[in-house]
Amino acid sequence: MPSKFMVAALALTALAAPASARPVSYAGGWTAMQDNNRMYSSLLVHYSPTATDSIGLLAEQNWSMDATFTGLQYTRLARRWNAPQSQGNLYIKLGAGAADAFEGGQKAAGFAGLSADWETRRLFVSYDVRARDYGFDQSVSHAARIGVAPYVAEFGKLHTWAMLQVENHPEADNPVQVTPLLRFFEGPLLVEAGYTLEEDRFLLNWIYRF
Amino acid sequence: MKTLKILALAAALSLAAAPALAAPEVPAASAQAKGEFVTAHVNGLVCDFCAQALQKVFKKEAAVKGIHVDLGKGEVHISMNPGQTLDDATIEKLIRNSGYALTGIDREVAE
Repeated sequence: MPSKFMVAALALTALAAPASARPVSYAGGWTAMQDNNRMYSSLLVHYSPTATDSIGLLAEQNWSMDATFTGLQYTRLARRWNAPQSQGNLYIKLGAGAADAFEGGQKAAGFAGLSADWETRRLFVSYDVRARDYGFDQSVSHAARIGVAPYVAEFGKLHTWAMLQVENHPEADNPVQVTPLLRFFEGPLLVEAGYTLEEDRFLLNWIYRF
Repeated sequence: MKTLKILALAAALSLAAAPALAAPEVPAASAQAKGEFVTAHVNGLVCDFCAQALQKVFKKEAAVKGIHVDLGKGEVHISMNPGQTLDDATIEKLIRNSGYALTGIDREVAE
Protein backbone atom coordinates (compact mmCIF):
# COMPACT_ATOMS: atom_id res chain seq x y z
CA MET A 1 0.00 0.00 0.00
CA PRO A 2 2.67 2.55 0.92
CA SER A 3 4.72 1.79 -2.18
CA LYS A 4 1.67 2.19 -4.44
CA PHE A 5 0.91 5.46 -2.77
CA MET A 6 4.47 6.64 -3.21
CA VAL A 7 4.32 5.96 -6.92
CA ALA A 8 1.05 7.81 -7.24
CA ALA A 9 2.38 10.70 -5.18
CA LEU A 10 5.50 10.98 -7.27
CA ALA A 11 3.45 10.96 -10.42
CA LEU A 12 1.44 13.87 -9.08
CA THR A 13 4.42 15.84 -7.95
CA ALA A 14 6.17 16.92 -11.05
CA LEU A 15 5.82 20.12 -9.10
CA ALA A 16 6.60 20.43 -5.43
CA ALA A 17 8.90 21.13 -0.55
CA PRO A 18 8.08 22.19 2.75
CA ALA A 19 4.88 21.27 4.47
CA SER A 20 5.36 22.42 8.00
CA ALA A 21 2.88 20.67 10.26
CA ARG A 22 3.36 17.17 11.65
CA PRO A 23 6.58 16.34 9.83
CA VAL A 24 7.23 13.22 11.94
CA SER A 25 4.74 10.42 12.61
CA TYR A 26 4.68 7.39 14.91
CA ALA A 27 7.19 4.59 14.32
CA GLY A 28 6.10 2.88 11.12
CA GLY A 29 3.69 5.60 10.07
CA TRP A 30 3.21 7.13 6.63
CA THR A 31 1.98 10.67 6.03
CA ALA A 32 1.09 12.64 2.92
CA MET A 33 0.83 16.41 3.10
CA GLN A 34 0.29 19.12 0.57
CA ASP A 35 0.60 22.90 0.95
CA ASN A 36 -0.68 25.43 -1.52
CA ASN A 37 -0.20 29.14 -0.96
CA ARG A 38 0.95 32.23 -2.71
CA MET A 39 4.61 31.25 -2.57
CA TYR A 40 4.52 27.61 -3.51
CA SER A 41 2.67 24.35 -3.95
CA SER A 42 4.29 21.34 -2.39
CA LEU A 43 3.74 17.69 -1.75
CA LEU A 44 5.64 15.69 0.84
CA VAL A 45 5.14 11.98 1.39
CA HIS A 46 7.16 10.73 4.33
CA TYR A 47 7.79 7.61 6.35
CA SER A 48 8.81 7.59 10.01
CA PRO A 49 11.05 4.65 10.92
CA THR A 50 11.06 5.96 14.49
CA ALA A 51 8.96 8.46 16.42
CA THR A 52 11.75 11.01 16.07
CA ASP A 53 12.75 10.74 12.40
CA SER A 54 11.09 10.87 9.02
CA ILE A 55 12.35 10.66 5.48
CA GLY A 56 10.24 11.73 2.58
CA LEU A 57 9.97 12.61 -1.06
CA LEU A 58 9.33 16.26 -1.64
CA ALA A 59 8.25 18.14 -4.72
CA GLU A 60 7.69 21.88 -4.78
CA GLN A 61 6.65 24.41 -7.32
CA ASN A 62 7.87 27.78 -6.15
CA TRP A 63 5.62 30.29 -7.89
CA SER A 64 7.56 33.41 -7.00
CA MET A 65 10.87 31.99 -8.22
CA ASP A 66 9.25 30.22 -11.14
CA ALA A 67 11.20 27.12 -10.16
CA THR A 68 10.67 23.48 -9.32
CA PHE A 69 12.39 21.51 -6.59
CA THR A 70 12.36 17.75 -6.25
CA GLY A 71 14.31 15.81 -3.69
CA LEU A 72 14.44 14.16 -0.30
CA GLN A 73 13.53 15.71 3.02
CA TYR A 74 14.86 14.41 6.32
CA THR A 75 13.19 15.64 9.47
CA ARG A 76 14.50 15.12 12.98
CA LEU A 77 12.34 15.67 16.01
CA ALA A 78 15.14 17.20 18.05
CA ARG A 79 13.08 17.64 21.18
CA ARG A 80 9.55 17.00 22.34
CA TRP A 81 8.05 18.30 25.54
CA ASN A 82 5.13 16.12 26.59
CA ALA A 83 3.17 17.69 29.44
CA PRO A 84 -0.19 16.68 30.96
CA GLN A 85 -2.15 19.23 28.91
CA SER A 86 0.28 20.31 26.21
CA GLN A 87 2.94 19.28 23.73
CA GLY A 88 5.90 21.21 22.36
CA ASN A 89 8.19 20.23 19.51
CA LEU A 90 11.44 21.32 17.95
CA TYR A 91 12.19 19.97 14.48
CA ILE A 92 15.23 20.15 12.22
CA LYS A 93 14.54 19.82 8.51
CA LEU A 94 17.07 19.16 5.80
CA GLY A 95 16.43 18.77 2.11
CA ALA A 96 18.55 17.90 -0.89
CA GLY A 97 17.66 17.49 -4.53
CA ALA A 98 17.49 19.37 -7.79
CA ALA A 99 15.94 22.71 -8.65
CA ASP A 100 14.82 23.43 -12.15
CA ALA A 101 14.28 27.03 -13.12
CA PHE A 102 12.29 27.40 -16.31
CA GLU A 103 14.97 29.65 -17.74
CA GLY A 104 18.02 28.47 -15.83
CA GLY A 105 18.34 24.72 -16.25
CA GLN A 106 18.66 22.18 -13.50
CA LYS A 107 20.88 22.85 -10.48
CA ALA A 108 21.74 21.03 -7.28
CA ALA A 109 19.60 22.46 -4.51
CA GLY A 110 18.98 22.14 -0.82
CA PHE A 111 17.44 23.73 2.20
CA ALA A 112 17.68 23.68 5.98
CA GLY A 113 15.05 24.72 8.45
CA LEU A 114 13.94 24.79 12.05
CA SER A 115 10.38 24.49 13.27
CA ALA A 116 9.00 24.90 16.75
CA ASP A 117 5.44 24.50 17.93
CA TRP A 118 3.49 24.31 21.15
CA GLU A 119 -0.13 23.39 21.54
CA THR A 120 -2.83 22.51 23.99
CA ARG A 121 -6.31 21.45 23.01
CA ARG A 122 -7.24 25.13 22.95
CA LEU A 123 -4.15 27.06 21.87
CA PHE A 124 -1.54 26.67 19.17
CA VAL A 125 1.62 28.63 18.35
CA SER A 126 4.38 27.82 15.88
CA TYR A 127 7.42 29.31 14.20
CA ASP A 128 9.33 28.12 11.13
CA VAL A 129 12.48 29.41 9.52
CA ARG A 130 13.88 28.01 6.30
CA ALA A 131 17.00 28.82 4.33
CA ARG A 132 17.13 27.52 0.79
CA ASP A 133 19.75 27.44 -1.91
CA TYR A 134 18.39 26.58 -5.32
CA GLY A 135 21.68 27.23 -7.07
CA PHE A 136 20.41 30.27 -8.91
CA ASP A 137 18.73 31.78 -5.89
CA GLN A 138 19.23 31.86 -2.15
CA SER A 139 16.61 32.98 0.32
CA VAL A 140 15.47 32.81 3.93
CA SER A 141 11.83 32.84 4.96
CA HIS A 142 9.99 32.87 8.25
CA ALA A 143 6.46 31.92 9.24
CA ALA A 144 4.62 32.11 12.54
CA ARG A 145 1.15 31.01 13.55
CA ILE A 146 -1.20 31.45 16.41
CA GLY A 147 -4.43 29.48 16.72
CA VAL A 148 -7.43 29.08 18.99
CA ALA A 149 -9.92 26.22 19.12
CA PRO A 150 -13.41 27.59 19.79
CA TYR A 151 -14.43 24.27 21.32
CA VAL A 152 -12.71 21.11 22.52
CA ALA A 153 -13.60 17.94 20.61
CA GLU A 154 -12.97 14.34 21.52
CA PHE A 155 -11.03 11.89 19.38
CA GLY A 156 -12.84 11.08 16.16
CA LYS A 157 -14.95 14.24 16.25
CA LEU A 158 -14.43 17.32 14.14
CA HIS A 159 -11.82 19.68 15.59
CA THR A 160 -11.88 23.27 14.38
CA TRP A 161 -9.19 25.91 14.75
CA ALA A 162 -9.11 29.57 13.85
CA MET A 163 -5.54 30.56 13.01
CA LEU A 164 -3.54 33.53 11.88
CA GLN A 165 -0.36 33.00 9.88
CA VAL A 166 2.24 35.70 9.33
CA GLU A 167 5.01 35.07 6.82
CA ASN A 168 8.12 37.00 5.97
CA HIS A 169 9.62 36.53 2.52
CA PRO A 170 12.23 39.28 2.16
CA GLU A 171 12.56 38.81 -1.58
CA ALA A 172 8.84 39.09 -2.30
CA ASP A 173 7.02 42.20 -3.46
CA ASN A 174 5.01 42.01 -0.26
CA PRO A 175 7.60 40.75 2.22
CA VAL A 176 5.11 40.39 5.05
CA GLN A 177 1.95 38.44 4.36
CA VAL A 178 -0.91 37.74 6.72
CA THR A 179 -3.20 34.76 6.20
CA PRO A 180 -6.24 34.10 8.38
CA LEU A 181 -7.18 30.45 8.08
CA LEU A 182 -9.41 27.73 9.42
CA ARG A 183 -8.09 24.29 10.31
CA PHE A 184 -10.43 21.31 10.29
CA PHE A 185 -9.16 18.13 11.84
CA GLU A 186 -10.88 14.78 12.11
CA GLY A 187 -9.26 11.37 12.52
CA PRO A 188 -6.45 10.94 10.00
CA LEU A 189 -7.31 14.03 7.91
CA LEU A 190 -6.38 17.66 8.51
CA VAL A 191 -7.46 20.39 6.10
CA GLU A 192 -6.64 24.10 6.20
CA ALA A 193 -8.22 26.85 4.15
CA GLY A 194 -7.21 30.48 4.27
CA TYR A 195 -6.81 33.71 2.39
CA THR A 196 -3.66 35.80 2.08
CA LEU A 197 -4.74 39.41 2.36
CA GLU A 198 -1.82 41.11 0.61
CA GLU A 199 -1.87 38.80 -2.39
CA ASP A 200 -5.59 38.13 -2.80
CA ARG A 201 -4.81 34.43 -2.92
CA PHE A 202 -6.24 31.39 -1.23
CA LEU A 203 -4.38 28.86 0.86
CA LEU A 204 -5.34 25.21 0.91
CA ASN A 205 -3.32 22.63 2.84
CA TRP A 206 -4.07 19.05 3.79
CA ILE A 207 -2.45 16.22 5.67
CA TYR A 208 -3.44 12.57 5.70
CA ARG A 209 -1.85 10.14 8.11
CA PHE A 210 -1.92 6.44 7.33
CA MET B 1 -26.44 -54.56 42.91
CA LYS B 2 -25.82 -53.00 46.29
CA THR B 3 -22.34 -52.12 45.18
CA LEU B 4 -23.71 -50.44 42.08
CA LYS B 5 -26.14 -48.36 44.17
CA ILE B 6 -23.31 -47.24 46.44
CA LEU B 7 -21.19 -46.27 43.45
CA ALA B 8 -24.08 -44.37 41.86
CA LEU B 9 -24.74 -42.49 45.12
CA ALA B 10 -21.06 -41.68 45.51
CA ALA B 11 -20.92 -40.41 41.94
CA ALA B 12 -24.02 -38.25 42.46
CA LEU B 13 -22.60 -36.79 45.68
CA SER B 14 -19.27 -36.08 44.04
CA LEU B 15 -20.95 -34.28 41.16
CA ALA B 16 -23.04 -32.23 43.55
CA ALA B 17 -19.99 -31.36 45.59
CA ALA B 18 -17.80 -30.42 42.63
CA PRO B 19 -19.08 -26.86 42.18
CA ALA B 20 -18.61 -26.13 45.85
CA LEU B 21 -15.08 -27.45 45.82
CA ALA B 22 -14.26 -25.48 42.67
CA ALA B 23 -15.87 -22.30 43.92
CA PRO B 24 -12.70 -20.58 45.18
CA GLU B 25 -11.19 -20.78 41.67
CA VAL B 26 -14.11 -19.12 39.89
CA PRO B 27 -12.94 -15.51 40.21
CA ALA B 28 -9.50 -16.26 38.73
CA ALA B 29 -10.99 -18.25 35.89
CA SER B 30 -13.52 -15.53 35.28
CA ALA B 31 -10.84 -12.87 35.25
CA GLN B 32 -8.88 -14.74 32.65
CA ALA B 33 -11.97 -15.27 30.56
CA LYS B 34 -12.90 -11.61 30.69
CA GLY B 35 -9.44 -10.23 30.06
CA GLU B 36 -7.53 -7.38 31.60
CA PHE B 37 -8.29 -3.68 31.33
CA VAL B 38 -5.33 -1.34 31.45
CA THR B 39 -5.41 2.42 31.86
CA ALA B 40 -2.19 4.16 30.82
CA HIS B 41 -1.78 7.76 31.90
CA VAL B 42 0.01 9.66 29.13
CA ASN B 43 1.46 13.14 28.72
CA GLY B 44 1.33 15.01 25.42
CA LEU B 45 -2.07 13.94 24.12
CA VAL B 46 -3.45 17.04 22.43
CA CYS B 47 -4.90 16.02 19.07
CA ASP B 48 -6.42 13.29 16.92
CA PHE B 49 -3.07 12.46 15.35
CA CYS B 50 -1.82 11.61 18.86
CA ALA B 51 -4.74 9.28 19.45
CA GLN B 52 -4.44 7.75 16.01
CA ALA B 53 -0.75 7.03 16.52
CA LEU B 54 -1.48 5.16 19.75
CA GLN B 55 -4.24 3.17 18.11
CA LYS B 56 -2.06 2.17 15.18
CA VAL B 57 0.84 1.12 17.40
CA PHE B 58 -1.17 -0.79 20.02
CA LYS B 59 -3.41 -2.59 17.54
CA LYS B 60 -0.35 -4.33 16.12
CA GLU B 61 -0.03 -6.23 19.41
CA ALA B 62 -1.73 -9.64 19.53
CA ALA B 63 -2.59 -9.19 23.20
CA VAL B 64 -4.62 -6.05 22.53
CA LYS B 65 -8.33 -6.53 21.95
CA GLY B 66 -9.24 -2.86 21.76
CA ILE B 67 -7.99 0.60 22.57
CA HIS B 68 -9.69 3.88 23.36
CA VAL B 69 -7.98 7.23 23.83
CA ASP B 70 -9.44 9.87 26.14
CA LEU B 71 -7.77 13.11 25.09
CA GLY B 72 -9.45 15.07 27.88
CA LYS B 73 -8.10 12.90 30.68
CA GLY B 74 -4.82 12.03 28.98
CA GLU B 75 -5.64 8.34 29.29
CA VAL B 76 -5.25 5.35 27.01
CA HIS B 77 -7.66 2.51 27.78
CA ILE B 78 -6.48 -0.88 26.58
CA SER B 79 -8.60 -4.04 26.63
CA MET B 80 -6.53 -7.21 26.57
CA ASN B 81 -7.56 -10.48 25.00
CA PRO B 82 -8.45 -13.19 27.53
CA GLY B 83 -5.36 -14.82 28.97
CA GLN B 84 -3.01 -12.22 27.48
CA THR B 85 -1.42 -9.03 28.68
CA LEU B 86 1.39 -6.53 28.08
CA ASP B 87 3.86 -5.82 30.83
CA ASP B 88 4.58 -2.29 31.98
CA ALA B 89 7.87 -2.05 30.09
CA THR B 90 6.19 -3.02 26.81
CA ILE B 91 3.39 -0.50 27.32
CA GLU B 92 5.95 2.21 28.08
CA LYS B 93 7.90 1.31 24.92
CA LEU B 94 4.79 1.35 22.72
CA ILE B 95 3.74 4.75 24.04
CA ARG B 96 7.25 6.09 23.50
CA ASN B 97 7.22 4.70 19.94
CA SER B 98 3.98 6.58 19.40
CA GLY B 99 5.73 9.79 20.46
CA TYR B 100 4.34 10.29 23.96
CA ALA B 101 5.31 9.90 27.60
CA LEU B 102 3.88 7.37 30.05
CA THR B 103 3.30 8.61 33.59
CA GLY B 104 1.44 5.68 35.18
CA ILE B 105 -0.44 2.43 34.67
CA ASP B 106 -3.57 1.06 36.37
CA ARG B 107 -4.72 -2.50 35.85
CA GLU B 108 -8.07 -4.12 36.56
CA VAL B 109 -10.20 -7.05 35.45
CA ALA B 110 -12.58 -6.08 32.66
CA GLU B 111 -16.23 -5.99 33.73
